[in-house]
Amino acid sequence: MQPFIHIDVANSEEVIPLLDARSRPLAGGTDMLPLMKEGIVAPERLINIKRAGDLRYIRADEDGLHIGALTTLDELDRHPDVRRDYTTLAQAAAEAASPQLRNMATLGGNLLQQARCWYYRGDFHCWLKGGELCHARDGRNEYHAIFDQSPCVAVYPSDPPAALMALEANLRIVGPQGARLVPVAEFLQPPSAERRTLHTLAPNELIVEVHVPKGPSGSVYLKAMDRATWAYALASVAVAANIRDGRAHNVRIVLGAVSNRPIRALAAEELVEGQLITPELARRAGETALAAARALEHNHYKLPLTRNLVAQALRDIMAG
Amino acid sequence: MTTLLGSSLPRPDALGKVTGDARYPGDLVRPGMLQLKVVFAGRPHARIVAIETSAALAYPGVVAVLTAGDVPYNAYGLIDADQPVLCGDVVRFEGDKVALVVAESQEIAAAAAKLVAITYENLPAVTDPRAALAPDAPLVHQHHGSNVLGYVPIRKGDTAHGLAEADIVLEGEFSTSWQEHAFLQPEAGIAFVDDQGRLVVETAGQWLHEDRRQIAMLLNLPVEQVVIRYATIGGAFGGREDLSIQHLAALAAWKLRQPVAIVWSREESMIGHHKRHPISVRCRWGATNEGKITAVEAEVIADGGAYASTSIEVTKVAALFATGCYEVPNISVDGYAVYTNNIPAGAFRGFGAPQAQFASEIMVTRLAHALGIDPVELRRRNIYREGSIEPMQEPLPPGVSALPVLERCVTEAQARFQQAARRSDDHAPGTTTFGTNGITSHLRRGIGIACGIKNIGYSFGFPEQATATVELHGTGTVEHAHVRVGAAEVGQGTHLALGMIAAETIGLPLDKIVMITDDSSEAPNAGSASASRLTLMAGRAVQDAAVAALLAWADEERPAQATVQFRPPATTPLDPITTAGRPNYAYGYAAQAVEVEVNTLTGQVQVLRVISVHDVGKAINRQQVEGQIEGCVAQALGYALMEHFQMRDGHILTPHFSTYLLPTALDMPTEIVPVVLELADPQGPYGARGVAEMPLVPLAPAIAAAIHDAVGVWLTEQPMTPERVLMALGAQQTKIERPG
Repeated sequence: MQPFIHIDVANSEEVIPLLDARSRPLAGGTDMLPLMKEGIVAPERLINIKRAGDLRYIRADEDGLHIGALTTLDELDRHPDVRRDYTTLAQAAAEAASPQLRNMATLGGNLLQQARCWYYRGDFHCWLKGGELCHARDGRNEYHAIFDQSPCVAVYPSDPPAALMALEANLRIVGPQGARLVPVAEFLQPPSAERRTLHTLAPNELIVEVHVPKGPSGSVYLKAMDRATWAYALASVAVAANIRDGRAHNVRIVLGAVSNRPIRALAAEELVEGQLITPELARRAGETALAAARALEHNHYKLPLTRNLVAQALRDIMAG
Repeated sequence: MTTLLGSSLPRPDALGKVTGDARYPGDLVRPGMLQLKVVFAGRPHARIVAIETSAALAYPGVVAVLTAGDVPYNAYGLIDADQPVLCGDVVRFEGDKVALVVAESQEIAAAAAKLVAITYENLPAVTDPRAALAPDAPLVHQHHGSNVLGYVPIRKGDTAHGLAEADIVLEGEFSTSWQEHAFLQPEAGIAFVDDQGRLVVETAGQWLHEDRRQIAMLLNLPVEQVVIRYATIGGAFGGREDLSIQHLAALAAWKLRQPVAIVWSREESMIGHHKRHPISVRCRWGATNEGKITAVEAEVIADGGAYASTSIEVTKVAALFATGCYEVPNISVDGYAVYTNNIPAGAFRGFGAPQAQFASEIMVTRLAHALGIDPVELRRRNIYREGSIEPMQEPLPPGVSALPVLERCVTEAQARFQQAARRSDDHAPGTTTFGTNGITSHLRRGIGIACGIKNIGYSFGFPEQATATVELHGTGTVEHAHVRVGAAEVGQGTHLALGMIAAETIGLPLDKIVMITDDSSEAPNAGSASASRLTLMAGRAVQDAAVAALLAWADEERPAQATVQFRPPATTPLDPITTAGRPNYAYGYAAQAVEVEVNTLTGQVQVLRVISVHDVGKAINRQQVEGQIEGCVAQALGYALMEHFQMRDGHILTPHFSTYLLPTALDMPTEIVPVVLELADPQGPYGARGVAEMPLVPLAPAIAAAIHDAVGVWLTEQPMTPERVLMALGAQQTKIERPG
């Protein structure tokens, strides 16, 4: 690990002036420290924001849910309002990693988690790290994208952001020019030649709050893993909807771990909007959601898996 | 016999391990010791053009940078010494070691390791064992002349005749992956030269005297000048049979005459030590309508990786068990241990038997289905009995308990699986269930059964012995005893078991037995903690030495002392022409029944229940036997379903536990029922035979059979991950939609 300077700050105000391209904020550190140990990132300064008490809260009001960026995944999962009214988010937080990691990992940091691709994390100078080539595209790619959105085929690894997208959440981001509000769906973007990250946070900005509008009547998060727990998603699905008179309204379907970012399945949403979702319609919605997907050499299983998860999530929503 | 043998006495090492008092090798590091850091090759195959160490040497705090020229005899290995300690001309896999930095701290050593500038000329790598067998394949070892590390033929009868006799012939193709030992304690150790001028290495391993032999050889020292001591060992499973860091610490301490320490990280451990062999099996099995297996032809290819390790021995075991525990009159097996530029493969609990019997057990069940015979009944009609003729054309060693083990497993499964079904108001296995909302459930249950066989002790003529010394002290009567036996306590409980055997034989309470076991200069050679052999081999040596010491005591010798070397009946090397002989002197027999639930949406398989039946001859300590079975089932379950060590073009893709997934508590079955039979082995102390590896043999094929029972597809690649289950279900769906 490269030597670095460690700076403690007491509140979010103090952070912004310290942030630049050579500095990184340190919250839970569950991703930052491994990245530094493996030499994938080497910031000169770590701005420790863990003690910024003004960023750690969950507030539910008429306006919806306000979550401070330093809220841990464990706190999210345990919060009774989140569990009741924003179930998909609580489930996604609960399914992410082990209790030890959830006790440390923050929602803000989780949004910024870097790709888990084994080439990116390994000793390869891949495209996402600034190199020329995506090694996974023609290498071992069983855990990679089925929606091709950039030269890189790594998938966005975090669970809660897919749920946040289904809930149409916004991020409050503070920078030198003040605050901006941006939907999670816009914040998470495929990497580009100029920006080799899975998000659009500028180096001098900080996520301070996640705002979730008043929740729908039902939501669910389903995640498939290679073991019973504590693994990254093979694929996941977040679904939110208002169920009135036995029909589904404002349906939002988000697919996780299938691309550089969570994917809204708009055509599938349209198919089931306002409908009584029968098992047959749920099955067709799964097919529609995956119509544009293309498997790589080793991840053909992701097509039926994601289809099945979409159908199951819709059935679960209808069953309440 | 007293009540001592068979009782579940608590492990003497348990309290220290759970409280943190136990001192593992990493806990032996002391201030002032020099720290070592390995510079790995990081590439699968290359010629070393130049090694420039001056920048590293100039780094403040660096004491030395050792390279190939610093190693007196630069070749080592358990069987063939084909592995350089430090590579001088060619690197053959990613984890090959090129330089060893010695510095005042770990941080300095790590920083300086990055300054060792090595110029390579990359060579074409061969990373697929079948491709490695092609005549024009790049050679991993130029002087070896081919990539065939070992060829293992086994012939019995006439398979052309046997297949012609068969009413049905099935073909199959199976593959397994590397498995990582994933012991809790990554490699670590210290080394120093003591005041008698002896080189002392304190570390973890599986065989004191073999570590000593190899280290003495590569330093050109007499073995007496090298002392190996084992600290508390945090698991081994075969993964500490090959040298990993022990010889590096020895080299640096001897060269510099200063105390040194080396502690590997998990990532270094993952790329630094060998793995279980990936093995592919292609086979044809023939049987008559009456359910008699008439012939088996098989090709068994093991990816040995870059160095020999124990690959040839593993391949012999795999080839021998290509027909499982069944008496087949006509057999033709061709086994190949192959050099590739992948990570070396070597010993791992089961030693070739699990891979071979993943194939053979599935083939037996498939034959039964094709013949319309119950899979248990087909097994009964072919299973080894007393006097059955082995693939190497001679009768099995006496004490064949395959059939009683199978029958007990069937009885237990009938009682417990039906009970369980009644208890939870379950559906019958293999049937579709319905959820509360009337939607067809995606959870299907099935049951499966499989048998297993594994040799106890060394095979095929490998010299087999265990030596123990017993000293009886006292005046009028024997008051206490010293038992010297160099047997590694790797967590299996051997020190307690050997102590119990000594106490029983001498007639002393256990607390009057002093065990001296962990120092190569203090305890005689008992052989390795491997091949499920210590209870039988070291146990017999201790028992026989105790008996001899009692005779000396009767002759008024004070203290009375006896040293006994126990040798079992000799085995014979594989004769490549006749392939006839006696491969082993004892076997362990196992059978398992499992119930699984398959999620047809996600492909996930949850094992619900496991019944694991073993003939252990005599349980010296019942709780330890059951613990071995339960722990081994956990390791077997990970191997069967999720542990997926992956390489691509010679690069390891899964060096972390975030990508190499081990089972969690939630992946474990709610119930593991260990069933212990005690059908005495003729050789073993008080009839005991080993159990350590046996539960690993049948589990994967039993799970495969249960998955087939649940959803109708056969998984033939291990691990049986959700990805593979889903693809198999998809292929089945396509077949139904497009018949023919």
